[in-house]
Amino acid sequence: MNSTEHTLWVSALIVGAVVLVAVAVLLSILIYLVKNIDRRVVTVRDTLKAAKANTADTVLIPQVAAGVDAVLAEGLQHHLFLGRVLGKVKS
Amino acid sequence: MTVLVVLTVLEIVVLIAALAFYLFWVGTLLARIAGNLEECAEIVRGIVADAALIGPGVEHINETGGVVAGALPLLYGMAEDIVADVTPRPEPPAVPEPARPASGTRRSRLLDAVGFAPRLSRTDGGASPGANDPSARRDVSARAARPPIVQGSSRQEGDLP
Repeated sequence: MNSTEHTLWVSALIVGAVVLVAVAVLLSILIYLVKNIDRRVVTVRDTLKAAKANTADTVLIPQVAAGVDAVLAEGLQHHLFLGRVLGKVKS
Repeated sequence: MTVLVVLTVLEIVVLIAALAFYLFWVGTLLARIAGNLEECAEIVRGIVADAALIGPGVEHINETGGVVAGALPLLYGMAEDIVADVTPRPEPPAVPEPARPASGTRRSRLLDAVGFAPRLSRTDGGASPGANDPSARRDVSARAARPPIVQGSSRQEGDLP
């Protein structure tokens, strides 16, 4: 191996080391960003859990609607009753 | 020569190892993120299922509540009619009260023209002799709040029929 080949090989080794360090740095940045995404996804998940807890009681809305229907039916019964009684107590 | 070969092989091995390590790390993190996102998607589907009940339910409640609110005046109007019908009424007086104008009687200004100023005990309108006196005004207003006296003996000479 002559001197030129030796020099080129050493240079290639140095460039390879630099590339290795650059790859490590870039992958470390990637890991940092992915960890950041992971934290924020956890935050979003917790927020969605809270929203789910808030909307869990919406199953009561149809029951409330049924209750209001019952109030209306009872009001109609009162109307019929008052209509009958009003004719009898009229003087 | 041997040193260079060893260094080269070592560098390649380190590069591959570093790439494999970081790939595994990133893979682990992305798998965890995927699991969390899957859970988020499940929660969002649950929220959508819960929210789907809100619209029709509230619309139903609003419609039925409007009907109830519109029917309540009719109900309490009928109830008021019943109460008014069953409430005992006072007996009418044996001697019917003479019809009097609701506005009361007016003092004729012809009396003023001839210099006659009767002392009026006003219970039924007209200008009071003490119109400028606040205490007299209060007295007049208090008497006006009472029902008018219907006995003929309480009428004084100056009162007009």
